[in-house]
Amino acid sequence: MKIFIVPPNSLILFDLVERFGHQPLSIMAELRERVTSNEIEKPPLNVTVDDVKKGLKYAGIEVPSGIRGRLAVYGPMIEEAEAAIFMEDAPYSFGCVGCARTNEMVKLLVRKRKIPLLDLEYPHSDEEARAMVARIKEFLEGLK
Amino acid sequence: MSEETETRMLFIAPSSDLTPDQLVRHLHTLNLGINIKETCYGCVLEGTRAQLLHALTEARKLDPNRIFTKVRAFPVGDIRRCRAHHGSRPGFAQLQKEWKDLAMFDQGLQCVARGEHPPSPVRPKKMAVRDLKIICDEVGK
Repeated sequence: MKIFIVPPNSLILFDLVERFGHQPLSIMAELRERVTSNEIEKPPLNVTVDDVKKGLKYAGIEVPSGIRGRLAVYGPMIEEAEAAIFMEDAPYSFGCVGCARTNEMVKLLVRKRKIPLLDLEYPHSDEEARAMVARIKEFLEGLK
Repeated sequence: MSEETETRMLFIAPSSDLTPDQLVRHLHTLNLGINIKETCYGCVLEGTRAQLLHALTEARKLDPNRIFTKVRAFPVGDIRRCRAHHGSRPGFAQLQKEWKDLAMFDQGLQCVARGEHPPSPVRPKKMAVRDLKIICDEVGK
């Protein structure tokens, strides 16, 4: 099954989802087409003008273009997803990954789809990480 | 899909005794016909999806629970990202944080592999305002 992961570029979630036999929907795979096409020459131009227009499907015109640009990438992935895993409060879910408002919109869009969803907190200790791995495995095995 | 070129990063968890050099040498000996670049955290591989999944399976034989992977958008040696060409690495802080935490997840995977019952950790709750007021009053006396 196709699993949407939040943060969408998380190494940990990508690896665990793939390890337990599912296909993670990651932003890296989505962006590969964009960065290897001739249309984009160099960062930070990692979205096209068309992307910002596509983002209108997921966010209103009054929403900043940065959010719309991100949603143009995330939106089709959310529509494709058959289940989702959220890792809340990941220390890197801001900064270069983007923006708290986009993350909120993404969570809303996923919840609107009413697909199976696992909500986790980013672990801060060995015990929490062990519990998290077990919960992810249980969730993913339950989807088969 | 399997014929499409893909780029993957392999991360060796800090708890592993394996070095990036050992991993890369092992992958080179397999003659997989893929592009392999050694990095500080492990290596970057580029080839078709089927080739990379085969390489990952072989790499995991060295240390099954301590080699992690994710795909990468930019190709190997892309001048927009490659350090040799002074490329920027905006995602490096995230990779560094996740790489450090891989040791915790490796324990989780071992726990799952052994079929152990996972712990139920309880996070300390935030202090109630009433308790904080009591402390403030005591200090203020």
